Amino acid sequence: MISVQYVVALAALLFMVGAVGVLVRKNPLIMFMSAEMMWNAAALAFIAFARNYHDMSGQVMAFLIIGTAAAEVGIGLALIVAVYHRRHRLDIDEISRLKG
Amino acid sequence: MRYLIPEVVVAGGALLALLAIVLVPKAKSLGSWIVLLALLAAGIDAATMWHVTASLFMSNTLAIDQYSILVTELVLLAGVSSLLLAWNADRFGEEFPVLLALSVIGMMTLGAAANLLAIFIGIELLSLPLYILAASSRTQAGGEAALKYLLLGAFSSGILLFGMALLYGATSTLSFVAYPAITAANTWLLWSGLALVIVGIAFKLAIVPFHMWVPDVYEGSPTPVTNFMAFGTKVGAAVILLRLLAFGFYTQDGSWGTLIGYLAVLTMIVGNLLALPQMSLKRLLGYSGIGHAGFLLVGIATHSVDGAEAMMFYLLPYGLAVMAVFGVLRLIEGNGDEVTLSDLKGMAYRQPWLAAVLIVGMLSFAGIPLTGGFVGKFFLLQAALFASQPGLAVGIVVGTLVGLFAYLRPLQMMFQRTEPSEKVQKVRWTVASVVVLTVAVVGTIGLGVYPEPFVHIVSHSADFYWLTGG
Repeated sequence: MISVQYVVALAALLFMVGAVGVLVRKNPLIMFMSAEMMWNAAALAFIAFARNYHDMSGQVMAFLIIGTAAAEVGIGLALIVAVYHRRHRLDIDEISRLKG
Repeated sequence: MRYLIPEVVVAGGALLALLAIVLVPKAKSLGSWIVLLALLAAGIDAATMWHVTASLFMSNTLAIDQYSILVTELVLLAGVSSLLLAWNADRFGEEFPVLLALSVIGMMTLGAAANLLAIFIGIELLSLPLYILAASSRTQAGGEAALKYLLLGAFSSGILLFGMALLYGATSTLSFVAYPAITAANTWLLWSGLALVIVGIAFKLAIVPFHMWVPDVYEGSPTPVTNFMAFGTKVGAAVILLRLLAFGFYTQDGSWGTLIGYLAVLTMIVGNLLALPQMSLKRLLGYSGIGHAGFLLVGIATHSVDGAEAMMFYLLPYGLAVMAVFGVLRLIEGNGDEVTLSDLKGMAYRQPWLAAVLIVGMLSFAGIPLTGGFVGKFFLLQAALFASQPGLAVGIVVGTLVGLFAYLRPLQMMFQRTEPSEKVQKVRWTVASVVVLTVAVVGTIGLGVYPEPFVHIVSHSADFYWLTGG
Protein backbone atom coordinates (compact mmCIF):
# COMPACT_ATOMS: atom_id res chain seq x y z
CA MET A 1 0.00 0.00 0.00
CA ILE A 2 1.55 3.26 -1.15
CA SER A 3 1.02 6.00 1.42
CA VAL A 4 -1.11 8.97 0.46
CA GLN A 5 1.74 11.50 0.52
CA TYR A 6 3.48 9.95 -2.47
CA VAL A 7 0.33 9.91 -4.58
CA VAL A 8 -0.48 13.51 -3.73
CA ALA A 9 3.11 14.51 -4.47
CA LEU A 10 2.79 12.87 -7.88
CA ALA A 11 -0.51 14.72 -8.42
CA ALA A 12 1.14 18.02 -7.46
CA LEU A 13 3.95 17.30 -9.92
CA LEU A 14 1.47 16.58 -12.71
CA PHE A 15 -0.39 19.77 -11.81
CA MET A 16 2.82 21.81 -12.04
CA VAL A 17 3.74 20.29 -15.40
CA GLY A 18 0.27 21.09 -16.69
CA ALA A 19 0.30 24.67 -15.37
CA VAL A 20 3.74 25.37 -16.83
CA GLY A 21 2.58 23.86 -20.11
CA VAL A 22 -0.38 26.22 -20.35
CA LEU A 23 1.75 29.24 -19.51
CA VAL A 24 4.74 28.45 -21.73
CA ARG A 25 3.44 26.73 -24.85
CA LYS A 26 1.93 28.70 -27.74
CA ASN A 27 -0.05 26.05 -29.57
CA PRO A 28 -3.70 25.98 -28.39
CA LEU A 29 -3.83 22.19 -28.75
CA ILE A 30 -0.87 21.68 -26.45
CA MET A 31 -2.20 24.33 -24.04
CA PHE A 32 -5.53 22.55 -23.93
CA MET A 33 -3.82 19.23 -23.33
CA SER A 34 -1.84 20.73 -20.46
CA ALA A 35 -5.02 22.12 -18.91
CA GLU A 36 -6.55 18.65 -19.09
CA MET A 37 -3.48 17.35 -17.31
CA MET A 38 -4.18 19.76 -14.45
CA TRP A 39 -7.72 18.37 -14.22
CA ASN A 40 -6.43 14.81 -14.11
CA ALA A 41 -3.91 15.73 -11.44
CA ALA A 42 -6.82 16.96 -9.33
CA ALA A 43 -8.75 13.75 -10.00
CA LEU A 44 -5.73 11.71 -8.89
CA ALA A 45 -5.45 13.71 -5.67
CA PHE A 46 -9.17 13.21 -5.01
CA ILE A 47 -8.85 9.45 -5.43
CA ALA A 48 -5.78 9.30 -3.19
CA PHE A 49 -7.54 11.18 -0.39
CA ALA A 50 -10.74 9.17 -0.85
CA ARG A 51 -8.81 5.94 -0.38
CA ASN A 52 -7.08 7.38 2.65
CA TYR A 53 -10.35 8.40 4.32
CA HIS A 54 -12.42 5.44 3.08
CA ASP A 55 -14.92 8.02 1.83
CA MET A 56 -16.73 7.72 -1.47
CA SER A 57 -17.32 11.40 -2.25
CA GLY A 58 -13.77 11.90 -3.53
CA GLN A 59 -14.23 9.06 -5.99
CA VAL A 60 -17.54 10.53 -7.16
CA MET A 61 -15.75 13.80 -7.75
CA ALA A 62 -13.13 12.01 -9.86
CA PHE A 63 -15.85 10.52 -12.05
CA LEU A 64 -17.48 13.91 -12.46
CA ILE A 65 -14.12 15.42 -13.43
CA ILE A 66 -13.65 12.76 -16.11
CA GLY A 67 -17.15 13.35 -17.48
CA THR A 68 -16.86 17.11 -17.52
CA ALA A 69 -13.41 16.94 -19.08
CA ALA A 70 -14.88 14.87 -21.92
CA ALA A 71 -17.56 17.51 -22.51
CA GLU A 72 -14.94 20.24 -22.45
CA VAL A 73 -12.74 18.40 -24.95
CA GLY A 74 -15.71 18.07 -27.29
CA ILE A 75 -16.32 21.80 -27.28
CA GLY A 76 -12.63 22.72 -27.24
CA LEU A 77 -11.59 20.62 -30.23
CA ALA A 78 -14.58 21.88 -32.22
CA LEU A 79 -13.56 25.48 -31.50
CA ILE A 80 -9.91 24.83 -32.34
CA VAL A 81 -10.91 23.24 -35.65
CA ALA A 82 -13.25 26.16 -36.44
CA VAL A 83 -10.51 28.72 -35.78
CA TYR A 84 -7.95 26.68 -37.72
CA HIS A 85 -10.29 26.57 -40.72
CA ARG A 86 -10.21 30.33 -40.96
CA ARG A 87 -6.52 31.03 -40.64
CA HIS A 88 -4.63 27.73 -41.15
CA ARG A 89 -2.15 28.51 -38.45
CA LEU A 90 -2.34 27.89 -34.76
CA ASP A 91 -0.41 30.26 -32.55
CA ILE A 92 -2.01 31.77 -29.53
CA ASP A 93 0.03 34.99 -29.82
CA GLU A 94 -1.48 35.69 -33.24
CA ILE A 95 -4.94 34.71 -32.10
CA SER A 96 -5.00 36.78 -28.97
CA ARG A 97 -4.35 40.37 -29.75
CA LEU A 98 -3.30 40.99 -26.18
CA LYS A 99 -3.78 44.70 -25.80
CA GLY A 100 -4.56 44.89 -22.15
CA MET B 1 -38.14 18.05 -4.48
CA ARG B 2 -40.29 21.14 -4.25
CA TYR B 3 -37.18 23.33 -4.01
CA LEU B 4 -35.71 22.32 -7.35
CA ILE B 5 -38.74 23.28 -9.44
CA PRO B 6 -37.17 26.47 -10.92
CA GLU B 7 -34.12 24.53 -12.09
CA VAL B 8 -36.28 21.73 -13.45
CA VAL B 9 -38.52 24.18 -15.31
CA VAL B 10 -35.53 25.86 -16.99
CA ALA B 11 -33.96 22.49 -17.86
CA GLY B 12 -37.28 21.26 -19.22
CA GLY B 13 -37.64 24.44 -21.26
CA ALA B 14 -34.18 23.93 -22.73
CA LEU B 15 -34.92 20.33 -23.73
CA LEU B 16 -38.34 21.23 -25.13
CA ALA B 17 -36.80 24.07 -27.15
CA LEU B 18 -34.19 21.68 -28.50
CA LEU B 19 -36.96 19.32 -29.57
CA ALA B 20 -38.98 22.15 -31.11
CA ILE B 21 -35.99 23.33 -33.14
CA VAL B 22 -35.56 19.87 -34.62
CA LEU B 23 -39.25 19.05 -35.17
CA VAL B 24 -40.53 22.43 -36.38
CA PRO B 25 -37.61 23.93 -38.31
CA LYS B 26 -39.86 26.54 -39.95
CA ALA B 27 -40.91 28.29 -36.74
CA LYS B 28 -37.74 30.29 -36.23
CA SER B 29 -38.53 31.91 -32.90
CA LEU B 30 -40.36 28.97 -31.30
CA GLY B 31 -37.27 27.91 -29.33
CA SER B 32 -36.78 31.43 -28.03
CA TRP B 33 -40.42 31.62 -26.95
CA ILE B 34 -40.26 28.31 -25.07
CA VAL B 35 -37.09 29.30 -23.24
CA LEU B 36 -38.46 32.76 -22.46
CA LEU B 37 -41.63 31.28 -20.96
CA ALA B 38 -39.59 28.73 -19.00
CA LEU B 39 -37.35 31.45 -17.57
CA LEU B 40 -40.34 33.61 -16.59
CA ALA B 41 -42.17 30.63 -15.05
CA ALA B 42 -39.06 29.69 -13.07
CA GLY B 43 -38.81 33.29 -11.84
CA ILE B 44 -42.42 33.32 -10.67
CA ASP B 45 -42.05 29.93 -9.00
CA ALA B 46 -38.86 30.99 -7.21
CA ALA B 47 -40.62 34.13 -5.99
CA THR B 48 -43.44 32.08 -4.44
CA MET B 49 -40.80 30.14 -2.49
CA TRP B 50 -39.53 33.30 -0.80
CA HIS B 51 -40.82 32.46 2.69
CA VAL B 52 -39.38 28.96 2.62
CA THR B 53 -37.67 27.61 5.72
CA ALA B 54 -34.00 27.51 4.94
CA SER B 55 -32.68 23.98 4.70
CA LEU B 56 -30.01 21.72 3.24
CA PHE B 57 -30.93 18.81 1.04
CA MET B 58 -29.43 16.14 -1.23
CA SER B 59 -27.05 15.08 1.58
CA ASN B 60 -25.78 18.61 2.21
CA THR B 61 -25.06 19.34 -1.44
CA LEU B 62 -27.56 22.13 -2.06
CA ALA B 63 -29.00 24.75 0.25
CA ILE B 64 -32.28 26.53 -0.28
CA ASP B 65 -32.73 29.86 1.44
CA GLN B 66 -33.48 33.48 0.59
CA TYR B 67 -29.90 33.82 -0.64
CA SER B 68 -30.28 31.15 -3.31
CA ILE B 69 -33.72 32.46 -4.31
CA LEU B 70 -32.40 35.99 -4.80
CA VAL B 71 -29.51 34.64 -6.88
CA THR B 72 -32.01 32.66 -8.97
CA GLU B 73 -34.03 35.80 -9.67
CA LEU B 74 -30.90 37.79 -10.60
CA VAL B 75 -29.57 35.22 -13.05
CA LEU B 76 -33.01 34.75 -14.58
CA LEU B 77 -33.10 38.51 -15.17
CA ALA B 78 -29.70 38.24 -16.85
CA GLY B 79 -30.90 35.32 -18.97
CA VAL B 80 -34.15 37.01 -20.03
CA SER B 81 -32.39 40.26 -20.94
CA SER B 82 -29.82 38.45 -23.12
CA LEU B 83 -32.52 36.39 -24.76
CA LEU B 84 -34.51 39.53 -25.58
CA LEU B 85 -31.45 41.35 -26.90
CA ALA B 86 -30.79 38.44 -29.28
CA TRP B 87 -34.45 38.13 -30.27
CA ASN B 88 -35.05 37.29 -33.95
CA ALA B 89 -31.38 37.49 -34.80
CA ASP B 90 -30.78 34.51 -37.06
CA ARG B 91 -27.05 34.92 -37.11
CA PHE B 92 -26.66 33.62 -33.55
CA GLY B 93 -28.12 30.28 -34.57
CA GLU B 94 -31.21 28.48 -33.32
CA GLU B 95 -29.37 26.83 -30.45
CA PHE B 96 -28.78 30.20 -28.78
CA PRO B 97 -31.76 30.05 -26.34
CA VAL B 98 -31.01 26.43 -25.40
CA LEU B 99 -27.39 27.13 -24.49
CA LEU B 100 -28.43 30.26 -22.64
CA ALA B 101 -30.91 28.29 -20.52
CA LEU B 102 -28.28 25.65 -19.67
CA SER B 103 -25.86 28.35 -18.57
CA VAL B 104 -28.59 29.92 -16.41
CA ILE B 105 -29.06 26.57 -14.61
CA GLY B 106 -25.33 26.53 -13.83
CA MET B 107 -25.60 29.97 -12.23
CA MET B 108 -28.67 28.92 -10.23
CA THR B 109 -26.69 25.94 -8.95
CA LEU B 110 -23.92 28.25 -7.78
CA GLY B 111 -26.39 30.24 -5.71
CA ALA B 112 -27.57 27.09 -3.93
CA ALA B 113 -24.23 25.26 -3.64
CA ALA B 114 -23.24 24.05 -0.18
CA ASN B 115 -20.68 21.56 -1.38
CA LEU B 116 -17.48 21.70 -3.44
CA LEU B 117 -19.04 19.22 -5.87
CA ALA B 118 -21.96 21.56 -6.53
CA ILE B 119 -19.56 24.48 -7.04
CA PHE B 120 -17.62 22.51 -9.66
CA ILE B 121 -20.74 21.36 -11.49
CA GLY B 122 -22.24 24.85 -11.34
CA ILE B 123 -19.13 26.55 -12.71
CA GLU B 124 -18.73 24.05 -15.53
CA LEU B 125 -22.42 24.14 -16.44
CA LEU B 126 -22.13 27.92 -16.55
CA SER B 127 -18.94 27.96 -18.63
CA LEU B 128 -19.36 25.19 -21.20
CA PRO B 129 -22.40 26.74 -22.97
CA LEU B 130 -20.76 30.17 -22.76
CA TYR B 131 -17.73 28.93 -24.74
CA ILE B 132 -20.09 28.01 -27.57
CA LEU B 133 -22.18 31.17 -27.19
CA ALA B 134 -19.05 33.32 -27.48
CA ALA B 135 -18.46 31.83 -30.92
CA SER B 136 -22.13 31.88 -31.93
CA SER B 137 -21.84 34.83 -34.32
CA ARG B 138 -19.60 32.65 -36.52
CA THR B 139 -17.09 35.43 -37.11
CA GLN B 140 -13.34 35.16 -36.86
CA ALA B 141 -13.20 37.42 -33.82
CA GLY B 142 -15.95 35.36 -32.15
CA GLY B 143 -14.09 32.09 -32.68
CA GLU B 144 -10.87 33.50 -31.33
CA ALA B 145 -12.61 35.01 -28.32
CA ALA B 146 -14.26 31.66 -27.61
CA LEU B 147 -10.95 29.79 -27.93
CA LYS B 148 -9.27 32.20 -25.56
CA TYR B 149 -12.16 31.96 -23.10
CA LEU B 150 -12.02 28.17 -23.29
CA LEU B 151 -8.28 27.91 -22.68
CA LEU B 152 -8.34 30.28 -19.72
CA GLY B 153 -11.54 28.67 -18.44
CA ALA B 154 -9.99 25.19 -18.54
CA PHE B 155 -6.82 26.50 -16.90
CA SER B 156 -8.70 28.23 -14.09
CA SER B 157 -11.00 25.25 -13.56
CA GLY B 158 -7.88 23.10 -13.21
CA ILE B 159 -6.56 25.39 -10.49
CA LEU B 160 -9.96 25.40 -8.79
CA LEU B 161 -10.18 21.61 -8.90
CA PHE B 162 -6.73 21.04 -7.48
CA GLY B 163 -7.55 23.49 -4.68
CA MET B 164 -10.73 21.56 -3.98
CA ALA B 165 -8.75 18.30 -3.87
CA LEU B 166 -6.42 19.79 -1.25
CA LEU B 167 -9.38 21.11 0.77
CA TYR B 168 -10.89 17.63 0.64
CA GLY B 169 -7.59 16.20 1.79
CA ALA B 170 -7.44 18.63 4.71
CA THR B 171 -11.02 18.17 5.90
CA SER B 172 -12.09 14.73 4.58
CA THR B 173 -15.43 16.14 3.41
CA LEU B 174 -16.63 17.98 0.32
CA SER B 175 -19.45 19.72 2.14
CA PHE B 176 -18.06 23.17 2.94
CA VAL B 177 -20.89 24.02 5.33
CA ALA B 178 -19.24 21.54 7.70
CA TYR B 179 -15.83 23.25 7.54
CA PRO B 180 -16.26 25.66 10.47
CA ALA B 181 -16.82 22.67 12.76
CA ILE B 182 -13.56 21.02 11.67
CA THR B 183 -10.94 22.78 13.73
CA ALA B 184 -8.21 20.17 13.52
CA ALA B 185 -7.72 20.83 9.82
CA ASN B 186 -5.81 24.09 10.24
CA THR B 187 -2.85 22.96 8.18
CA TRP B 188 -0.83 24.08 5.18
CA LEU B 189 -2.94 21.69 3.12
CA LEU B 190 -6.05 23.69 3.97
CA TRP B 191 -4.39 27.03 3.27
CA SER B 192 -2.86 26.06 -0.05
CA GLY B 193 -6.19 24.54 -1.07
CA LEU B 194 -8.09 27.68 -0.12
CA ALA B 195 -5.57 29.87 -1.97
CA LEU B 196 -5.94 27.81 -5.15
CA VAL B 197 -9.74 27.88 -4.92
CA ILE B 198 -9.72 31.67 -4.49
CA VAL B 199 -7.42 32.02 -7.52
CA GLY B 200 -9.69 29.75 -9.57
CA ILE B 201 -12.81 31.75 -8.77
CA ALA B 202 -10.90 35.04 -9.19
CA PHE B 203 -10.28 34.05 -12.82
CA LYS B 204 -14.01 33.63 -13.39
CA LEU B 205 -14.81 36.87 -11.59
CA ALA B 206 -11.98 38.76 -13.40
CA ILE B 207 -10.05 40.00 -10.37
CA VAL B 208 -7.01 42.03 -11.35
CA PRO B 209 -3.99 39.78 -11.60
CA PHE B 210 -6.26 37.29 -13.41
CA HIS B 211 -8.24 39.63 -15.66
CA MET B 212 -6.31 39.62 -18.95
CA TRP B 213 -8.85 37.56 -20.85
CA VAL B 214 -11.86 39.81 -20.21
CA PRO B 215 -11.45 42.65 -22.74
CA ASP B 216 -10.58 40.33 -25.63
CA VAL B 217 -13.44 37.96 -24.89
CA TYR B 218 -15.94 40.80 -24.43
CA GLU B 219 -14.82 42.40 -27.68
CA GLY B 220 -15.06 39.26 -29.78
CA SER B 221 -18.33 37.88 -28.40
CA PRO B 222 -21.73 38.97 -29.74
CA THR B 223 -23.30 41.75 -27.67
CA PRO B 224 -26.18 39.72 -26.11
CA VAL B 225 -23.63 37.13 -24.96
CA THR B 226 -21.40 39.85 -23.54
CA ASN B 227 -24.40 41.16 -21.64
CA PHE B 228 -24.90 37.69 -20.19
CA MET B 229 -21.22 37.31 -19.27
CA ALA B 230 -21.06 40.74 -17.66
CA PHE B 231 -24.22 40.26 -15.60
CA GLY B 232 -24.82 36.55 -15.04
CA THR B 233 -21.27 35.26 -14.71
CA LYS B 234 -20.40 38.03 -12.26
CA VAL B 235 -23.44 37.17 -10.14
CA GLY B 236 -22.63 33.46 -10.13
CA ALA B 237 -18.92 33.81 -9.30
CA ALA B 238 -19.43 36.55 -6.70
CA VAL B 239 -22.17 34.78 -4.76
CA ILE B 240 -20.30 31.49 -4.54
CA LEU B 241 -17.12 33.24 -3.38
CA LEU B 242 -19.15 35.04 -0.72
CA ARG B 243 -20.88 31.91 0.55
CA LEU B 244 -17.72 29.80 0.48
CA LEU B 245 -15.52 32.30 2.32
CA ALA B 246 -18.01 34.01 4.60
CA PHE B 247 -19.58 30.78 5.71
CA GLY B 248 -17.20 27.89 5.10
CA PHE B 249 -14.20 29.75 6.49
CA TYR B 250 -15.67 32.26 8.88
CA THR B 251 -13.61 30.98 11.79
CA GLN B 252 -10.40 31.86 9.92
CA ASP B 253 -11.48 35.22 8.53
CA GLY B 254 -8.33 37.05 9.63
CA SER B 255 -6.19 35.43 6.98
CA TRP B 256 -8.28 35.49 3.82
CA GLY B 257 -10.00 38.81 4.64
CA THR B 258 -6.78 40.76 4.22
CA LEU B 259 -5.92 39.02 0.95
CA ILE B 260 -9.37 39.69 -0.51
CA GLY B 261 -9.14 43.29 0.70
CA TYR B 262 -5.87 43.91 -1.17
CA LEU B 263 -7.26 42.24 -4.30
CA ALA B 264 -10.41 44.39 -4.07
CA VAL B 265 -8.50 47.69 -3.87
CA LEU B 266 -6.12 46.63 -6.65
CA THR B 267 -9.01 45.56 -8.88
CA MET B 268 -11.10 48.68 -8.32
CA ILE B 269 -8.24 51.04 -9.15
CA VAL B 270 -6.46 49.13 -11.93
CA GLY B 271 -9.69 48.10 -13.67
CA ASN B 272 -10.97 51.65 -13.85
CA LEU B 273 -7.53 53.07 -14.78
CA LEU B 274 -7.25 50.66 -17.72
CA ALA B 275 -10.75 51.70 -18.85
CA LEU B 276 -9.54 55.28 -19.37
CA PRO B 277 -7.57 54.98 -22.64
CA GLN B 278 -9.95 52.51 -24.38
CA MET B 279 -11.43 53.57 -27.70
CA SER B 280 -13.68 50.56 -28.30
CA LEU B 281 -16.89 50.79 -26.29
CA LYS B 282 -16.93 47.04 -25.60
CA ARG B 283 -13.37 47.00 -24.31
CA LEU B 284 -14.23 49.96 -22.10
CA LEU B 285 -17.15 48.00 -20.70
CA GLY B 286 -14.89 44.98 -20.22
CA TYR B 287 -12.53 46.99 -18.03
CA SER B 288 -15.50 48.56 -16.30
CA GLY B 289 -16.68 45.02 -15.47
CA ILE B 290 -13.26 44.32 -13.94
CA GLY B 291 -13.54 47.46 -11.83
CA HIS B 292 -17.00 46.45 -10.63
CA ALA B 293 -15.73 43.00 -9.66
CA GLY B 294 -13.44 44.88 -7.30
CA PHE B 295 -16.40 46.68 -5.75
CA LEU B 296 -18.14 43.33 -5.25
CA LEU B 297 -15.03 41.98 -3.52
CA VAL B 298 -15.23 44.80 -0.96
CA GLY B 299 -18.44 43.26 0.36
CA ILE B 300 -16.66 39.92 0.81
CA ALA B 301 -13.50 41.44 2.30
CA THR B 302 -15.33 43.27 5.11
CA HIS B 303 -16.59 39.89 6.29
CA SER B 304 -19.72 41.14 8.01
CA VAL B 305 -23.43 40.85 7.41
CA ASP B 306 -23.34 44.50 6.28
CA GLY B 307 -20.73 43.63 3.69
CA ALA B 308 -22.71 40.64 2.42
CA GLU B 309 -25.85 42.77 2.16
CA ALA B 310 -23.95 45.53 0.34
CA MET B 311 -22.53 43.06 -2.16
CA MET B 312 -25.89 41.43 -2.81
CA PHE B 313 -27.44 44.87 -3.26
CA TYR B 314 -24.70 45.99 -5.64
CA LEU B 315 -25.37 43.09 -8.01
CA LEU B 316 -28.78 44.40 -9.09
CA PRO B 317 -27.95 48.04 -9.98
CA TYR B 318 -24.77 46.79 -11.69
CA GLY B 319 -26.77 44.28 -13.71
CA LEU B 320 -29.43 46.82 -14.67
CA ALA B 321 -26.77 49.27 -15.85
CA VAL B 322 -25.16 46.47 -17.86
CA MET B 323 -28.54 45.78 -19.47
CA ALA B 324 -29.02 49.45 -20.34
CA VAL B 325 -25.58 49.94 -21.85
CA PHE B 326 -25.44 46.66 -23.77
CA GLY B 327 -29.02 47.16 -24.95
CA VAL B 328 -28.04 50.50 -26.49
CA LEU B 329 -24.86 48.99 -27.91
CA ARG B 330 -26.88 46.21 -29.52
CA LEU B 331 -29.13 48.75 -31.23
CA ILE B 332 -26.40 51.05 -32.53
CA GLU B 333 -23.96 48.37 -33.67
CA GLY B 334 -26.42 47.26 -36.37
CA ASN B 335 -24.89 44.19 -37.97
CA GLY B 336 -22.08 43.65 -35.61
CA ASP B 337 -19.35 46.15 -36.44
CA GLU B 338 -17.17 47.34 -33.62
CA VAL B 339 -18.51 50.50 -31.98
CA THR B 340 -15.80 52.97 -31.06
CA LEU B 341 -16.19 56.05 -28.92
CA SER B 342 -15.99 58.32 -31.97
CA ASP B 343 -19.03 56.52 -33.40
CA LEU B 344 -20.99 58.02 -30.52
CA LYS B 345 -20.33 61.58 -31.72
CA GLY B 346 -23.51 63.57 -32.06
CA MET B 347 -25.66 60.74 -30.77
CA ALA B 348 -27.45 63.01 -28.31
CA TYR B 349 -28.90 64.93 -31.28
CA ARG B 350 -29.44 62.02 -33.67
CA GLN B 351 -30.98 59.50 -31.27
CA PRO B 352 -31.95 61.38 -28.12
CA TRP B 353 -33.81 58.45 -26.54
CA LEU B 354 -30.95 55.98 -26.95
CA ALA B 355 -28.53 58.60 -25.71
CA ALA B 356 -30.67 59.16 -22.62
CA VAL B 357 -30.66 55.42 -21.81
CA LEU B 358 -26.89 55.25 -22.30
CA ILE B 359 -26.47 58.26 -20.01
CA VAL B 360 -28.53 56.62 -17.27
CA GLY B 361 -26.50 53.39 -17.54
CA MET B 362 -23.13 55.15 -17.54
CA LEU B 363 -24.07 57.40 -14.62
CA SER B 364 -25.16 54.35 -12.64
CA PHE B 365 -21.79 52.68 -13.41
CA ALA B 366 -20.06 55.84 -12.25
CA GLY B 367 -22.15 56.07 -9.08
CA ILE B 368 -23.89 59.42 -9.53
CA PRO B 369 -26.72 60.12 -7.01
CA LEU B 370 -30.30 59.25 -8.02
CA THR B 371 -29.08 56.07 -9.72
CA GLY B 372 -28.92 52.58 -8.24
CA GLY B 373 -25.12 52.53 -8.62
CA PHE B 374 -24.78 55.38 -6.15
CA VAL B 375 -26.85 53.61 -3.49
CA GLY B 376 -24.84 50.41 -4.04
CA LYS B 377 -21.50 52.18 -3.65
CA PHE B 378 -22.84 54.02 -0.60
CA PHE B 379 -23.72 50.72 1.13
CA LEU B 380 -20.30 49.27 0.29
CA LEU B 381 -18.59 52.36 1.73
CA GLN B 382 -20.73 52.08 4.84
CA ALA B 383 -19.89 48.39 5.24
CA ALA B 384 -16.16 49.11 4.87
CA LEU B 385 -16.33 51.85 7.52
CA PHE B 386 -18.44 49.75 9.93
CA ALA B 387 -15.86 46.97 9.62
CA SER B 388 -13.23 49.64 10.43
CA GLN B 389 -11.26 49.03 7.26
CA PRO B 390 -10.45 52.55 6.06
CA GLY B 391 -8.15 51.19 3.36
CA LEU B 392 -11.12 49.62 1.59
CA ALA B 393 -13.09 52.86 1.90
CA VAL B 394 -10.24 54.84 0.33
CA GLY B 395 -10.05 52.25 -2.43
CA ILE B 396 -13.76 52.65 -3.17
CA VAL B 397 -13.46 56.43 -3.37
CA VAL B 398 -10.37 56.40 -5.59
CA GLY B 399 -11.82 53.70 -7.84
CA THR B 400 -15.06 55.65 -8.21
CA LEU B 401 -13.22 58.87 -9.06
CA VAL B 402 -11.10 57.19 -11.74
CA GLY B 403 -14.19 55.43 -13.06
CA LEU B 404 -16.02 58.74 -13.29
CA PHE B 405 -13.54 59.95 -15.93
CA ALA B 406 -13.78 56.69 -17.85
CA TYR B 407 -17.59 56.83 -17.98
CA LEU B 408 -17.88 60.54 -18.70
CA ARG B 409 -15.72 60.30 -21.83
CA PRO B 410 -18.36 58.49 -23.91
CA LEU B 411 -21.00 60.91 -22.61
CA GLN B 412 -18.90 63.87 -23.66
CA MET B 413 -18.53 62.31 -27.14
CA MET B 414 -22.29 62.03 -27.47
CA PHE B 415 -22.74 65.78 -27.12
CA GLN B 416 -20.17 66.72 -29.74
CA ARG B 417 -21.69 68.21 -32.88
CA THR B 418 -20.74 66.48 -36.14
CA GLU B 419 -21.19 67.27 -39.79
CA PRO B 420 -24.58 66.05 -41.03
CA SER B 421 -22.89 64.56 -44.12
CA GLU B 422 -21.61 61.63 -42.09
CA LYS B 423 -23.19 58.33 -42.95
CA VAL B 424 -25.27 57.11 -40.04
CA GLN B 425 -26.85 53.70 -39.66
CA LYS B 426 -30.54 53.84 -38.96
CA VAL B 427 -31.51 52.30 -35.64
CA ARG B 428 -34.04 49.49 -35.89
CA TRP B 429 -36.06 49.45 -32.69
CA THR B 430 -37.59 46.13 -31.68
CA VAL B 431 -40.20 45.46 -29.04
CA ALA B 432 -37.82 43.12 -27.21
CA SER B 433 -35.06 45.71 -26.92
CA VAL B 434 -37.53 48.39 -25.82
CA VAL B 435 -38.64 46.09 -23.00
CA VAL B 436 -35.03 45.51 -21.88
CA LEU B 437 -34.15 49.21 -22.01
CA THR B 438 -37.33 50.22 -20.16
CA VAL B 439 -36.76 47.71 -17.37
CA ALA B 440 -33.12 48.76 -17.09
CA VAL B 441 -33.83 52.50 -16.90
CA VAL B 442 -36.85 52.26 -14.61
CA GLY B 443 -34.99 49.82 -12.36
CA THR B 444 -31.83 51.92 -12.20
CA ILE B 445 -33.63 55.13 -11.33
CA GLY B 446 -36.12 53.31 -9.08
CA LEU B 447 -33.29 51.77 -7.04
CA GLY B 448 -31.65 55.17 -6.78
CA VAL B 449 -34.74 57.02 -5.61
CA TYR B 450 -36.51 54.41 -3.53
CA PRO B 451 -34.17 51.52 -2.62
CA GLU B 452 -36.02 50.46 0.59
CA PRO B 453 -37.95 47.44 -0.80
CA PHE B 454 -34.86 45.89 -2.32
CA VAL B 455 -32.81 46.66 0.79
CA HIS B 456 -35.42 44.74 2.76
CA ILE B 457 -35.15 41.75 0.39
CA VAL B 458 -31.36 41.82 0.49
CA SER B 459 -31.23 41.99 4.29
CA HIS B 460 -33.22 38.74 4.40
CA SER B 461 -31.09 37.02 1.79
CA ALA B 462 -27.69 37.96 3.20
CA ASP B 463 -28.50 36.25 6.47
CA PHE B 464 -27.18 32.81 5.58
CA TYR B 465 -25.61 31.99 8.94
CA TRP B 466 -28.47 29.58 9.61
CA LEU B 467 -26.22 26.99 7.99
CA THR B 468 -24.22 26.62 11.20
CA GLY B 469 -23.61 23.00 12.00
CA GLY B 470 -24.67 21.94 8.48
